[in-house]
Amino acid sequence: MATAVHPGTDIRSVDAPPEPPTPPRRNAKRSGVGDRSPVGLSWGLVIPSIAIVAIVSIFPIIYAINLSLHDTTYMEVGEFNGFAHFAYIFTSPEGQAQILRSFVYVIGSLVIAIPLSLGLASLLNQAVRGRAFFRVMILMPWVVSQTVAALLWKWLVNPDYGALGLGETPFGRIDFLANPVLAMLLLIIVNVWISYPLATILCLASLQTIPEELREAAEVDGAGPFRRFMQVTLPLMKPTLFVVAIQLTLLYFNMVTLVYTLTGGGPLDATNLLSLAAFKQSFEFFNLGLGAAYSVVLFAFNILFGAAYIRLLRSEKQ
Amino acid sequence: MTELVAGPLPTPTRHKVRRRRGRRTNPLTYVLLVLASLFAILPILWGISTSFKSESATLSDQGWIPADFTLENYRLVLFESQIPLYIGNTLLVAGLTVLATIVVAIFGAYAAARFRFRGKTTSLFLILMTSMIPGIAILVPLYFLAVNLGLYDTYAVMIIIYVAWQIPTVIWMLKGFFESIPDSIEEAGRVDGASHFRVMVQLIFPLAVPGIAAAAVISFVYVWNDFLIAATMISSDEKRLVSVGLYNYLSQYGIVWGQLTAAVVISIIPIVIVFVLMERRIVAGLSAGATKG
Repeated sequence: MATAVHPGTDIRSVDAPPEPPTPPRRNAKRSGVGDRSPVGLSWGLVIPSIAIVAIVSIFPIIYAINLSLHDTTYMEVGEFNGFAHFAYIFTSPEGQAQILRSFVYVIGSLVIAIPLSLGLASLLNQAVRGRAFFRVMILMPWVVSQTVAALLWKWLVNPDYGALGLGETPFGRIDFLANPVLAMLLLIIVNVWISYPLATILCLASLQTIPEELREAAEVDGAGPFRRFMQVTLPLMKPTLFVVAIQLTLLYFNMVTLVYTLTGGGPLDATNLLSLAAFKQSFEFFNLGLGAAYSVVLFAFNILFGAAYIRLLRSEKQ
Repeated sequence: MTELVAGPLPTPTRHKVRRRRGRRTNPLTYVLLVLASLFAILPILWGISTSFKSESATLSDQGWIPADFTLENYRLVLFESQIPLYIGNTLLVAGLTVLATIVVAIFGAYAAARFRFRGKTTSLFLILMTSMIPGIAILVPLYFLAVNLGLYDTYAVMIIIYVAWQIPTVIWMLKGFFESIPDSIEEAGRVDGASHFRVMVQLIFPLAVPGIAAAAVISFVYVWNDFLIAATMISSDEKRLVSVGLYNYLSQYGIVWGQLTAAVVISIIPIVIVFVLMERRIVAGLSAGATKG
């Protein structure tokens, strides 16, 4: 089994697996027969990928950063305005509320999704009858798109016609989408619903690499299931859990489609997150400069989370 | 890696047998598994149930099993709506995206896994870091770019963007896959006098088919489920993708839930079939990027 295949390691150790006697690089260029790394071919193979990500990802992000520093009226780019857009996002009550909501949403989702995925992964890792069936059922939401998830849940919790009978409960009529707190709660639940399969898959893969002997040894030593989990399984899964936490954080933080199609930011802006604001400013209100500033803020948070993640993985490895 | 992808359960059978004999599975495990499965498929089941009810029944019959079973919604969606067109568009765009992504990424991944050359670390870092750029952050620049290049409202622009967004993930997955194939195969090929390129295409790529399949399915599902690009880059109805088409159903005045859920069911059937058939491969492919073995 190949070792260490996680994104953190690539950055310093991308070099090909140690090949026996590596010719010095200078020779590699000249000699034709004995060389193991044809430089021309290597670049020829890599350049198409670089070209396409440069045009579609790198150039646009630079463009977005530039746009965020300018006044805009519809499609016209006007005067340089420094950090006015950013000042608005970080100092206006609206911007601050959006940042706060984004954190409530991300943290609320993480707090449910990670333990849930860990629990489901350990359930699915047991040798039970019908395991293949349960695996397919439990991982099914992975294939459901955010749009479809929003449609299905909206219909499920519909107070008048939905399956849950929320129109008449002991607490009165419960309309998730009309109440600011419940709307956020529903958004978090649906968000967990679409994202836990991926997290469960990653946890499951990690669980399967833990040798059964270790757990058995702990059992012989008299550790109960809970202690075995806490002292054997969990520490070994730590790197994977970091990966999962970061992947989910980025996914949640950048989430637009689900929010847009489920609540649209309402009611009363209660689910208007930073990511949704980026989309709406640009494509509904056509404040392209401000929209770009929101985007850059998102991007900065992504870099921050990503850097934290690489750091954690590195320190973990040592 | 190889183990994970080929037959993803590294636990030797010996253990399973022993466990099954020695220790009964806790009944609680089953209860929890059933509950989790219900949570996973309840919204889908309710959608399926509604899709078989008549228009008036969706508003009166709140049972899980339709009292009056009807296929009318499916007839309307399949023969009198744009949904089949949208599904066809999505199949086309997703298929071409997968093809282009694999063709571009497989070479990059191979070079990254096998060759040493100056600038490799930097270029790989550059490619992988672009997966940190959130799609929403570059939507406006991409829109401008598409309009200025005359690509707005074409399949091509969607495909190009999807390919670029999938390349980092796919390169990463395939690189791991190539690294799990022993070097000795290439050496043997080289000794026989084949060029680097021939060795790569004729000896190594065929061995990587399971990895390629996993990467292909993951990219396919990504395109199938995308909303943002499809919503911002396309304006004409005949080029619309299915996720946007479904959303338009919802935002129209007066939602006809029976038809909408029938459309949803039709739109998720292809992807559910792929998922059920390829579940092990997909799981292996997705976990390749994140596990430490």
